[in-house]
Amino acid sequence: MLPVVNGTFCVTVMKDRCINARMPGKCATCVEVCPYDVYAIDKAGNVRVQNYNACVGCRICAEYCPEDAIRINPAESEFLVRSPWTFPQVEEIHYKARTGQYMLRGFGTMGDTPSFDNITIVPSQIASPAPRDKYREECNLEVVIGEGACENPIRLKYPFIFPAMSFGALSREARMALAIGAAQTGIINNTGEGGLLKDETWLIKGYENEARTLKRWQPGGYLVVQWSTGRWGVSADYVRAGDGVEIKIGQGAKPGMGGHLLGAKVTAEIAAIRGIPVGSDALSPCRYYDVQNLEDMKRMVAFIRDVTDYKVPILFKLGPSRPYEDVKACVEAGADAISIDGLAGGTGASPAVVTQGVGIPTVALVPPAVRALKDMGVHRKVKLFVLGGIRGGLDAYKAMAMGADGVGFGAAAEIAMGCRACMACATGQCAYGITAQDPKLRALLIPEEAGDRLANFIKATAEEVKILTMLSGHDDIKTLSEEDLRAMDFNTAAITGLKLIGYEGRVPWWDGRGGSSNTG
Amino acid sequence: MSLVVDARGRDLRSVSMELKAAVTKGPVVIQEAAHLHGLVAGFKSGEVIIKGDGGDYLGVLNDGATIRVKKNAGHYLADNMTRGLVIVEGDAGYGVGAYCYGGTAVVKGNAGDFTAVMNKGATIIIGGNAGDEVATYMLAGDLVIVGNAGKNLGNYLIRGNIYIGGEWESLGHNTLLEEMSPADLTKLHGYFDEYGIDADLTSFKKIVRRSEKPFYK
Repeated sequence: MLPVVNGTFCVTVMKDRCINARMPGKCATCVEVCPYDVYAIDKAGNVRVQNYNACVGCRICAEYCPEDAIRINPAESEFLVRSPWTFPQVEEIHYKARTGQYMLRGFGTMGDTPSFDNITIVPSQIASPAPRDKYREECNLEVVIGEGACENPIRLKYPFIFPAMSFGALSREARMALAIGAAQTGIINNTGEGGLLKDETWLIKGYENEARTLKRWQPGGYLVVQWSTGRWGVSADYVRAGDGVEIKIGQGAKPGMGGHLLGAKVTAEIAAIRGIPVGSDALSPCRYYDVQNLEDMKRMVAFIRDVTDYKVPILFKLGPSRPYEDVKACVEAGADAISIDGLAGGTGASPAVVTQGVGIPTVALVPPAVRALKDMGVHRKVKLFVLGGIRGGLDAYKAMAMGADGVGFGAAAEIAMGCRACMACATGQCAYGITAQDPKLRALLIPEEAGDRLANFIKATAEEVKILTMLSGHDDIKTLSEEDLRAMDFNTAAITGLKLIGYEGRVPWWDGRGGSSNTG
Repeated sequence: MSLVVDARGRDLRSVSMELKAAVTKGPVVIQEAAHLHGLVAGFKSGEVIIKGDGGDYLGVLNDGATIRVKKNAGHYLADNMTRGLVIVEGDAGYGVGAYCYGGTAVVKGNAGDFTAVMNKGATIIIGGNAGDEVATYMLAGDLVIVGNAGKNLGNYLIRGNIYIGGEWESLGHNTLLEEMSPADLTKLHGYFDEYGIDADLTSFKKIVRRSEKPFYK
């Protein structure tokens, strides 16, 4: 399960600082925390770097080292001189030749793909509506899902969601932390397809105890229960427990494949919820066995609405495939909101070839998805959330100015809890207890602390969005438009239809095609 | 005396609202409901009798109700049921008892492809023949087929039992033929007796998983 970045980092242990170098056997923290066995300890208690090439640059060892004795630095890039036969490529071939198995990993696509980074935000000056004062004026960040379609729409305080990350992929503690984080910030936490933890139902509403006698976190968040192809832990009670129900069609980590929870993470508790043997892989089907066409999907939406007494919104989740056609199909099926997950999305385990090379980059999904909503006359009514490698306020603003209603934070939420992106999620050996199922590792994650970190991250990111929204002359995220953005290179202009810097116009093939935003 | 709900020309929401109120008072008969898909969804109790044919997704998410269909049912009968009983006097379509965690689904006639797919604990009884890919990725429960089955029977069976009185075109991955035990025969006899199915117990074969973890090499 080697990730693609190995062989590109230098590991240096400073012997004058290292406790083990001075007193062999007294410290082996780096050996214990490294998910890739970069370090080893011999019989005499001496720690040594046994495999420089296995380092993925997560720097967990440096964080945990009590004497700050470790430095991890990027090595000179092999890609310039050895491509295509770089060390990681050679290692991958050896791995397959040795084991007869393909590689698995989590954490989405690595490397250079089209992204929001090549888009810049245009501030207001004299020729446009004046900027708004972030410190003294209001800015509306609220997003409502399901208004007019159900009795109890979801009213997000901020335009963010914690997207589907299942119990199983995540630890119980991480699931609880997400609920606490959502409760403090008034946003959605999505169960994913691993069933529902009872604790989530009251934590998400901001209560400190199951009896719901003590409200500790304001304003209270929203629980979205996912309905997926494996239907793990799904019952009428499960469906009714949600403030919304999300029908999963696909995900960024493995579009065209079902969820994939490795047996190493299937503990007795997870096995009981999912109805599978302990230690057995939980492989969700790639498609619904009870849906054969769009008519069936419409009927599925109809009966879910009926089971929930027409009270809660129905959401859809798409992988990065054919955004225009897929979004239209979701609208036809009856979606109140659609999350579309990009190539960079991938908190879950996936075959490396899929996570690395299958799907459309997130930034390129937005224009066709928005155009589909506009063509169907439901833009801003059926809400669009963009997922997949969204890191903070800049990405969120850009996605929303391109026409999305909000964004989701999956990997960023894990990082907010403490994760350092070591990409070993699928092994169950997470050094922060976020994706671990081992009780010893899980104990490292305190739900209240991690929930506070998540809430801080969401609040800070909301402030970033507010700053950017107001400096570009708006007091409501719903009025953002593509006119607030410029592409900084030709490729980005070609992909997004945004005006190109300097030229101040769109590339010719976008003429007459309409844009992705409010003003298109 | 049963209450009667006439579904002719009405949509799911309207019929369902009337049904939800009526079922608390006693058995309810629904007539002309073949055009409604997802009827009697997620009920926790009560008895509903479909006079005539039922639509698709009948009894989906059933959590304790008894549902009787006097003629045929559509696709995905008792989909994702957790408790309760669904009995069809005639045939049913594709995906009978898909994703069920519990309860009992009985089809006295034939059933389509992918019957009992991902069954996680229900008892599913087919009085006639079943189609292809039946009991694919079944994780628990019993599937009983009095007649024949098609291709790939029990593909990727994880747990649970398949009992079949007739023949099959092919067995799927991870399946194993096992001797019928006296307990198996007693169980089947009980099923047939309870649901009024005529079957020759001596012809039945039992299929179980070969390995608990078939996805591992």
